[in-house]
Amino acid sequence: MGAVLALCLLWATTALADPLRLDAEWLRTMAFAAHQTNYSGVFVYQSGGRVEMSRITHLVDKDGEHERLEGLDGLRREVIRNNDKVWLYLGDKKVRVEKRRAQHAFPALLPEQIQALKENYQISQGEEDRVAEYHAHTVLFKPKDNLRYTRKMWAHSESGLLLKAVVLDERGRVIEQYAFSQLNIGGNIDRKWIISSESDAARLAQQGGLSPLPKASFENAPSGWQVDSVPPGFKKVLEMRRTISDRKLPVVHIVYSDGLAGISVFIEKVSEVTDIPGLSSQGAVHMYSRLVGENLVTVVGEVPPRTVIQVADSVRFAGE
Amino acid sequence: MKQEISVLMDGEMFEDEAELFFDKLKRQPQATQEWAVYHLIGDALRQPDHLHRDISSSFSERLQAEPTILAPHSRSPQRVRHYALSAVASVMALALVAWLSMQVGNEPAPQLAAVQQNNAVRPASFQANDYLMAHQEFSPSADVQGAASYIHTVAVR
Repeated sequence: MGAVLALCLLWATTALADPLRLDAEWLRTMAFAAHQTNYSGVFVYQSGGRVEMSRITHLVDKDGEHERLEGLDGLRREVIRNNDKVWLYLGDKKVRVEKRRAQHAFPALLPEQIQALKENYQISQGEEDRVAEYHAHTVLFKPKDNLRYTRKMWAHSESGLLLKAVVLDERGRVIEQYAFSQLNIGGNIDRKWIISSESDAARLAQQGGLSPLPKASFENAPSGWQVDSVPPGFKKVLEMRRTISDRKLPVVHIVYSDGLAGISVFIEKVSEVTDIPGLSSQGAVHMYSRLVGENLVTVVGEVPPRTVIQVADSVRFAGE
Repeated sequence: MKQEISVLMDGEMFEDEAELFFDKLKRQPQATQEWAVYHLIGDALRQPDHLHRDISSSFSERLQAEPTILAPHSRSPQRVRHYALSAVASVMALALVAWLSMQVGNEPAPQLAAVQQNNAVRPASFQANDYLMAHQEFSPSADVQGAASYIHTVAVR
């Protein structure tokens, strides 16, 4: 009895000594699991009045990472990623082929990102739960200001795979959530959809009448653009000139991260003033555009509307 | 059990009866499912605008095939029950959605417009996908969510 009590005390003191380390460890485990686990399942996504079901498949082999997301209702909506190549299908006609950066921009959670997390979120472990018949640990990230969202995550207790995630605003209202309703971890997973070679990709593109894979270019360089009002805790991760889709001119892309949420600032030269989109959203991701001279500034991030507006309003050209 | 759920939902059950019933509900997983399905159906009947028409094609087909049941003034416990029995199979998946909402809190998920202060918010356009895709390559949340984070890019709009 004494031994059990001592063990409990020991556990309690280690847990209390640095709960952050343990909770952040979960996040690291989740990121690792997301990249290294083979799984296939169906998840339900809900945002506002919208509900969607999608099938997700993820495989890792000697060639790298392959993943696929298929919408299960409505028109065909599908994303297939093989390492750095992303195929996006929307409906019957609108098909695009994108290329993403070859190397993942940053490894999951650098020490300074964990530090940023600690500064900006109160992290706590919640109750244990079950999702899609798997035992899960829950972790809550509660922001210390209203410029970011609260997140609750359910991680599979064994693999660390994210089973369910909820994004809440400062009043505790659900902005978006998703959860697996059915999931197989490991086991036999269909591989037919994997487009493993360049020639396969080319053949497929021709068959589908897809546009050829645009040449991707990423050039890390200071852009001369200045963003004055990035919320505290968001650190600049990248600043580059890059190609986006089939746009003729390169676009400036600056990325900020607070460890959990990302904010992207895009600056693009526009020859004529077309319709400025203003504020738009996809679930917890908000996007706000405004014109600065002849440039269209667009800020995208999984942060509240006020944050993307604040950031966009503070973008200015400071000179080369 | 079905009758009891229906009576309770219509607010026609006495308090002591309701307490007993809740006890029973807690003990029977099957009943909890029925409870969720009934509520979902109730929601569907009250506010069809908030349900996506593509949630399940068989579900919407059935909705179209049974117009009298959906007529605004025809809602009665008897009809709800009839509808529930005939559609239970196709709304099983939806029950999970109802469950998702119940898991988080009693407040309904807000409509996007309600989140806004001054700016009118719109669903992101097709062109916006370029930016969403580009952003998601570097977003830390994509790191833990994997391909699920593409949901923002392929979302129905």
